[in-house]
Amino acid sequence: MNSRSLVRVLCFALALVLLPALTWAAPKIVMRMGDNQTDRQNTWGAVIEQINAEFLKDHPNVSFETESYPDQPYQEKIKLYATSGQLPDVMKYWSLPSMLKPMVEAKLAAELSYNDFKALNFIPGSLEVNMIGGKLYGVPTNSDFWVIYYNKRLFKEAGVEVPATIEDLLASIPKFKAKGIVPMSTDGKDAWPLSIMFDNLTERVNGDYGIIQKALDRKAKFTDAPFVQGAKLLQDMAKAGLFQDDLLTSDYGASRNLFGQEKAAMYLMGSWEMGLSSDQNFPQSFRDNVGAFKVPALKSGKGTVNDQMAWFGGNYMVSAKSKYKDLGIEYLRYYFKRFPVLGWEKQIVVPAQKVTTSAKDTDLAKALVAILGGARVTSGTPSLDRANSAFKEDHQRLVKDLVAGVLTPEAFTKALDDSAATAAGM
Amino acid sequence: MSRSIFSRPGAIAALVTPAIAVILFAIVAPIALSGYFSLTDWSGFGAVKFIGLANFRKIILADPIFWRSLLNALLLAVVTLAIQNPVAFFVAAVIRKLPSRSSRPFRTIFFVPAVLSLVIITKLWVNIFSPTYGLLNKVLAGVGLKFLASAWLTNVHTALWSVIFIVIWQGFGWALLFYFSGLMTVPRDIEEAAMIDGASGLTLYGRIIIPYLLPVIQAVAVIGIISCLKQMEIVYLSTNGAPGNTTQFIANYVYLKAFAYSQYGYGNALSVLFVVIAVALTVITQRTMRRLPEVE
Repeated sequence: MNSRSLVRVLCFALALVLLPALTWAAPKIVMRMGDNQTDRQNTWGAVIEQINAEFLKDHPNVSFETESYPDQPYQEKIKLYATSGQLPDVMKYWSLPSMLKPMVEAKLAAELSYNDFKALNFIPGSLEVNMIGGKLYGVPTNSDFWVIYYNKRLFKEAGVEVPATIEDLLASIPKFKAKGIVPMSTDGKDAWPLSIMFDNLTERVNGDYGIIQKALDRKAKFTDAPFVQGAKLLQDMAKAGLFQDDLLTSDYGASRNLFGQEKAAMYLMGSWEMGLSSDQNFPQSFRDNVGAFKVPALKSGKGTVNDQMAWFGGNYMVSAKSKYKDLGIEYLRYYFKRFPVLGWEKQIVVPAQKVTTSAKDTDLAKALVAILGGARVTSGTPSLDRANSAFKEDHQRLVKDLVAGVLTPEAFTKALDDSAATAAGM
Repeated sequence: MSRSIFSRPGAIAALVTPAIAVILFAIVAPIALSGYFSLTDWSGFGAVKFIGLANFRKIILADPIFWRSLLNALLLAVVTLAIQNPVAFFVAAVIRKLPSRSSRPFRTIFFVPAVLSLVIITKLWVNIFSPTYGLLNKVLAGVGLKFLASAWLTNVHTALWSVIFIVIWQGFGWALLFYFSGLMTVPRDIEEAAMIDGASGLTLYGRIIIPYLLPVIQAVAVIGIISCLKQMEIVYLSTNGAPGNTTQFIANYVYLKAFAYSQYGYGNALSVLFVVIAVALTVITQRTMRRLPEVE
């Protein structure tokens, strides 16, 4: 081949490479969306899809590219995107200080208008947890509170009543086991439900959620008696066989399935699982029998069942670096106009906005509303989310070691206290 | 060809530049950046604080999880070399003796795990090991060995070995493939000559075939060691290091520190140390192998 024909061949190859660029023409706006709802046919994911379809109808020049992952991988993905400057334009996120604060400090969260969203009937305090330095950075999606879901049919089968005390809960374990039923399922792989339960049990011992913030502010210690007793209670529950045997390898989906497929009698989780009673992935007998009750109190503890673990965690954020920031904010305004209506209508979640209850609500929805309505005091953000990411990870890792029996309650609280001291910069 | 395009310096430069650019941007730059960030206290976004060698000091002097995860990775490498490779070699030798038609199904079956996605394999084994509904405990109970049943991946005593088993099982196909292809290249006449001289069985393998295959064994060993050190997916998807970091592996720990703990600087320091260790081990393995007697 002579030089000239070689040059021709090279030019041709170059043209082939560049050809797609010539045909590329996109007058359309493509917005990148991110959330943690992988099932788009059921519950929350279906509601998002409906809101999206309605919004796109009014914006024919816009299209969405949505990325959805299960909870924990989603959070890690968002961190990766934040590091590499590729955050989605609009994303599901969390108001928790361990998560929102770093985003705001890195100037990655767009500022939103408080008054715009205030008009959308938010429950007092819910928008405020999304404010840093007097500015709003996130819009809360739901009211989170900690409950125990249960399967009424399995309870009847095992001859167990809804436990009034922690002692009753422990006493029910052998009855379920005798029937081959897993007493309680939860997400032990990610472990934050265990961390939340640790807060809850500590409060049941001493009757005051305030001790948690004191320990984080170093005005109390995680090695103080209520924490050690709370840790001991949690470890005793695990030792007595309350949870599924593979607790530490069961992730969110696996533990939820165990309950939904009627293999476990109880499911330790937050109010955002209200959609369990309408999830078509589960059998009808499950959907008809799912209920919820408050985390029981101790016979001799100071806390009562009406001291509720409750906070506003989930939110939506717009990326400050987004090319379509205004459009993203417009989308959020539309989302939060429709979400409380659709979310409540489909009974998938207790929104962070006021809703109108009716006799037609599902039994599970009524039970959850009653639990929240009966709350005497609320906890605020769970302890693991009040400091930084490292404290959160330590909390989750240590609580896993506690339930696995690798750490004694004393060693657990000591390690947690060390981590809190590091997080407080001491 | 005196006026060939390849003799013009400009043309050579133009043709070589893309490759050099790819190497610079895809390999050199990330390593350099990683080296830089290893000297910082950075959460992945926001302000970068330069802290010198503090990360390295902490890793080496005060991070038991690092040493634990390194030890686990080395243990995995030892098990790979001492158990997986010999078994794969043995199976390859047996398959080689079979007529080609009957050996093919075996080769395919043994290689299947290597072509399946790691996610599928890990989820498969997590389900088999599950104490709630897993096959393994059910089978044990079925054959009267119920006392052996365990929460395989959560029990402190069985978790590490269960994870190692999954890794070994997954990598077995590759080792077998390499050894089988290697064995097929051993010339029949060498083998026949040895047999005429009275060599048989063990002597034949010990004196002729294994020395002949040393380069292959060396390659498989190095690849095995590196993949053991890099082991991340199976750990992440099965136990993520639990219980109590007993199943923590170095690559998973790097990821955890950088993206879960948001200690990006610390994660980079771990990865820099990790590269140093991996290179050192590779060099040691190759040196050791080179010292072994070559076949004449």
